Amino acid sequence: MTGFADAFREVRSSWRRRWTIAVVAFAVAAFAPLVFGEARTADLADGLYLACAAVGLAFAVGVAGLPSLAQGAFVAVGAVIGAHLLAAGAPTPLAALAGGVGGGLSGWIVGYAFARLPRAGFAAATWIVSWLVAFALQSITWFLGGSQGIVVSGGPTAAQHYELALVVTGLAALGYLALARSPIGLRLAAARDREPAALALGVPVLRVKAAAVAASGTVAGIAGALAVQLAGIGDPSQYDPFLSFRLFVVVLVGGALSPLGPPAGMLVLGLLSLAADAVGRLENIAAARAHTLLTAIMLLGIVSLGWEGIVRPERPARRGAPGAGPGRMKPTTLAATALGKSFDNVIAADDVALTVEPGSITALVGPNGSGKTTVLRMLAGTIAPDTGKITASPGAVARTLQSTAVFPTLTPLEHILVASAGYRRRGGLIRSLFATPKARAEDAAYVENAQRVLVRFGIPHELPAGELPVSDQRALMLAAAYATGASVLLVDEPTAGASVAEAARISDLLRSLRAEGLALLVVEHNLGVVRSLADRIVVLDAGRVLADGSPDLVAADENVRAAYLGRSAL
Amino acid sequence: MAVALQILASGFAAGAVYGLVAVGHSLVFRLTGVVHFAFGELIALGVFVTLLVAAGSGPVSQTSVGGARFLLALAIGLLVTAATSAGAYFLAIDPYRARGSVIGWVGASLAVAFAVRTVLVVFFDRPAYVFPDPLPFRRIADGGFWHVGGATIQVRTIFVAAAALALAGLGGALLQRTRFGRALEAIAQDFDAAVLVGLPVARLVGLAFALAGVWAGLAAILAAPSAAFDVDAAARYGLYGLLAAAVVWFDPRHALTAGIALGLIQATVTSAQIGGSELGPAYRDVIPLALGLLLFAWRARTMTEVVE
Repeated sequence: MTGFADAFREVRSSWRRRWTIAVVAFAVAAFAPLVFGEARTADLADGLYLACAAVGLAFAVGVAGLPSLAQGAFVAVGAVIGAHLLAAGAPTPLAALAGGVGGGLSGWIVGYAFARLPRAGFAAATWIVSWLVAFALQSITWFLGGSQGIVVSGGPTAAQHYELALVVTGLAALGYLALARSPIGLRLAAARDREPAALALGVPVLRVKAAAVAASGTVAGIAGALAVQLAGIGDPSQYDPFLSFRLFVVVLVGGALSPLGPPAGMLVLGLLSLAADAVGRLENIAAARAHTLLTAIMLLGIVSLGWEGIVRPERPARRGAPGAGPGRMKPTTLAATALGKSFDNVIAADDVALTVEPGSITALVGPNGSGKTTVLRMLAGTIAPDTGKITASPGAVARTLQSTAVFPTLTPLEHILVASAGYRRRGGLIRSLFATPKARAEDAAYVENAQRVLVRFGIPHELPAGELPVSDQRALMLAAAYATGASVLLVDEPTAGASVAEAARISDLLRSLRAEGLALLVVEHNLGVVRSLADRIVVLDAGRVLADGSPDLVAADENVRAAYLGRSAL
Repeated sequence: MAVALQILASGFAAGAVYGLVAVGHSLVFRLTGVVHFAFGELIALGVFVTLLVAAGSGPVSQTSVGGARFLLALAIGLLVTAATSAGAYFLAIDPYRARGSVIGWVGASLAVAFAVRTVLVVFFDRPAYVFPDPLPFRRIADGGFWHVGGATIQVRTIFVAAAALALAGLGGALLQRTRFGRALEAIAQDFDAAVLVGLPVARLVGLAFALAGVWAGLAAILAAPSAAFDVDAAARYGLYGLLAAAVVWFDPRHALTAGIALGLIQATVTSAQIGGSELGPAYRDVIPLALGLLLFAWRARTMTEVVE
């Protein structure tokens, strides 16, 4: 009962006017079958099933940033499974469930196969998938009966389907909301904003992207299975690539960053359909062709005006509460021996050995091109060494990137939540989807921990990181690496281009992390910062360790002076 | 042996056209990072405008158009294709590309594709069209067919393959040996640096978009009289060209080969008998696309290096 009361209080405190409008619209829409005849009600139900599939697509496009053009294909997979089960007499819920599983599985396969590509490649791959499924449905009669289709008789009436479609679309929208604010949604947003930085924070980018496409496909599959029953026939011609294009248009028109966007986009497309009927009658053109043309013209108009959707995104409110926050790895020594790496016959690292002890700062210095970043990337596990061995516990190492690489649309609070998500025990897909009491309690505890981290690093909580001053962005990168719970931090040029005051702030933060017992390896060009910070300095030249020792020892090394410093002193 | 020869001839001709489209896709992608989803439809536009100017909107036979009129029609058809391709780039695609909005340019490119497709389907509403053939292939050999080793090969397919290869060679020479080509290479290697050194990047990229459309359109027009033609046939050129380009990750040096390989696979699926059973035309799209996607997925597995 307490859990229910807490949930109610949480919903009430984060309630927005747009949700009131949505609930009222939902309630009013439920009475539509009383107003419209059966044929129009069936059309509306069909539109709602499309809106439902579009909500799924919006999750992949908006939250994950994946321009999926295969949503129509996932709808088709659901329709094929649904049509066969329904024709064999299976009940509607079973057909919908099986359609969802089929759509989800297809989505996972497509996501896993292609989500590692750049977005342009992902769009190309999913577009080809869309055509492949369309060709398969037309030429392989087993799928949907070829040109005859598969007849599906019986089942709910058009009005019942309409109410079902409304409920399913509402549930899809709630699922979108729950997942978007969950650790999975945050990790997806991070990967969407800046994939290398997300990888550096330990986000399993491919896995979460594949999960996003799978979730999107599941919703499409359910919609496909139910829509085929509503239509009474599984018709292969309904699932050509134009369906994927229409769903994409619905998402672009309505807005991909809110679950209310696709229903709004569908409403616009419905009105366009009425206009197409009128234009078709006037110009003696088949309504379907007029509809395609108007849809394309509308989209061209929208894109040329720089439109970003009817429903604009809204940042979820996040409230902290006491509880068990993320842990931290035990103090660890990072040791590397005989590391070697070549790129196309260019030796970037050769027989590099170094050790980073807990509670110490080791500086890795050297001229440009000496192999510092390559060594750092090997130590972080971003690239595999050709030779040598690295000893560190799994998850013990986190890294910051060379440039200031924050996630521009995420707040600092969300950065910390992304970084600490690896420790979540109750932030999985199912718990997040159903927002279970334990998942919400853990969420609140992690938010409170994130707020503490931000206070410690002196970073404001709520502004999008892209709007922060560069000095705060640098501190935020460090804070996010710290929040991963790693005991070894690899920090790549933390003060590059920084003013004296900014460099001093970063130096103080690094000292405080050392005092906490973390092992720090800092790649740095600012020799003043190196001298003031480092307990030990490793000098690289042409991929090899030139010197390794205390700052005084290294500063006195003639080889270092000759190869790296010339005649100036450290 | 006879079947193999026929597969080789027809597959090579179709594949060479796919390959040219793939080269166009690769060129556009390397210059802008954009996938040109409207390529197939722009090819269709070129073919149908050529048809309209050459033969009007009335019935057409393969021999009904003379050479001079056909050349004029060809010039107009390619000009319209070039203008539409460049116009689509400047008006719809580039604003989003410049902002780095992948979702935006994907939508814009698809919108151009469907707008062109619908206009064509509205104006050319017969299921399929016969395209006039200005070259007298019927007078060669046995009514335009060679009988070699038991195989019957359409003379025109040899011409199409040779013409496509010649166009590819010409395109390669244009890119490697002219100032225009070197400027495009500079843009492909570093867009921002090309802007900084004062290259008219926007104009050159627009021109490349136009040329890529013209090149592929020309190949499609050469191939069009070989069989009945419709908008879907052109869309297939665009699709197969995209797949061939994707499999080699938009590398123009290998795109032609990938296209030819796809054409050969398609011809094999259509004609070959395996163990006495024939897959047949029903699978002519499904199997090549599925195989191509598998190759693309395999290729994607190797693309794990993320640029920081």
